Amino acid sequence: MRSTRNVVLDKEDPRLGHYSDPPMLVLASLADGPKHGHTMIEDIVRLCGTRLGPGTLYGAIARLEQQGWIEPLPPEERRQPYRITAEGVRVLRARLTTLRQFSKAGLRRLEAL
Amino acid sequence: MNPRLAHLLACLYPPPWRERYAAEFEALLQTGRGGLRVSANVVWAALHERIFPTAGLRTERGQFQSWCVRAPWAVFGLAPLFLLGGAYFVACLVLWSGWKIFLPGTNTPFVPIDGFAVFYFGFGRFLYYGAPILIGWGIGLIAARQRYNAIWPTVGLVLIALIGGTSQVHASGPAVPGGVGRISMDLALGPSVQGIPHGLFHALVILSVTMLPCVIWRLQKTYSLS
Repeated sequence: MRSTRNVVLDKEDPRLGHYSDPPMLVLASLADGPKHGHTMIEDIVRLCGTRLGPGTLYGAIARLEQQGWIEPLPPEERRQPYRITAEGVRVLRARLTTLRQFSKAGLRRLEAL
Repeated sequence: MNPRLAHLLACLYPPPWRERYAAEFEALLQTGRGGLRVSANVVWAALHERIFPTAGLRTERGQFQSWCVRAPWAVFGLAPLFLLGGAYFVACLVLWSGWKIFLPGTNTPFVPIDGFAVFYFGFGRFLYYGAPILIGWGIGLIAARQRYNAIWPTVGLVLIALIGGTSQVHASGPAVPGGVGRISMDLALGPSVQGIPHGLFHALVILSVTMLPCVIWRLQKTYSLS
């Protein structure tokens, strides 16, 4: 089993600390304004260091659009921008609040070690 | 990325998805970096979209989902049994007709063969051995796509595995010289190997193979959620 100490010290694995929930990453990226696919990928890299593949990105986009959490805007040439909907904002806020509570509790426990 | 490769990769997706996203997806692929990793990511995503579609299948899926809820015994029990029965019937028909065409005058079709007969009998053999596994995978796929609970799909898989494992084909030679032989099927556990009946062992193998994709899918879902 991998201990917490090992996780903290192991800085060679670039995947450590990356958050990888593609739909949430897309919602978070769209939270500060509409974007198209390529901009979303670069924005998500800046946001948390995770580079989504185009297949993963469009898998997330299709699901988010189906759930009504994002919507397409008029296309710009061949690029298709998307924006987050009010429902999407509500879902993202709820999910991030849960994550904040979770990370607070987890970090408190780590400090006690 | 090369526009041709981008188009080829987009073609891997199912038509309803392509209708909605292909143009913008190809544009994204063309502006982004190419490479094996990106191609593998798209191939995997396209496969996922084909198994768990997001676009275009909502109505059909809704109707089918209602069938899964209203009559799970029919979807996961009766329908697979009919399918398996149909596959076995065709397999026996292939064996019987092949016997008549390629091996006239022999007392059994289970003799060494060559030439086109290998393919002909091979088709029947593929149906006989492959049908329980393919139908089992079908049950697992439907259960996974409908996010259905495991009880009825498991019942269906066990039934299919038991029938697939214990079914045996018999051929009896013609009663009179020049007559037509007879092909029959029955269910039997067969001789025991180290205390386990051969039929039961075969059924366990079929059950393991058919459940494997479901188990992998569940594990993948669990790890992707964690």
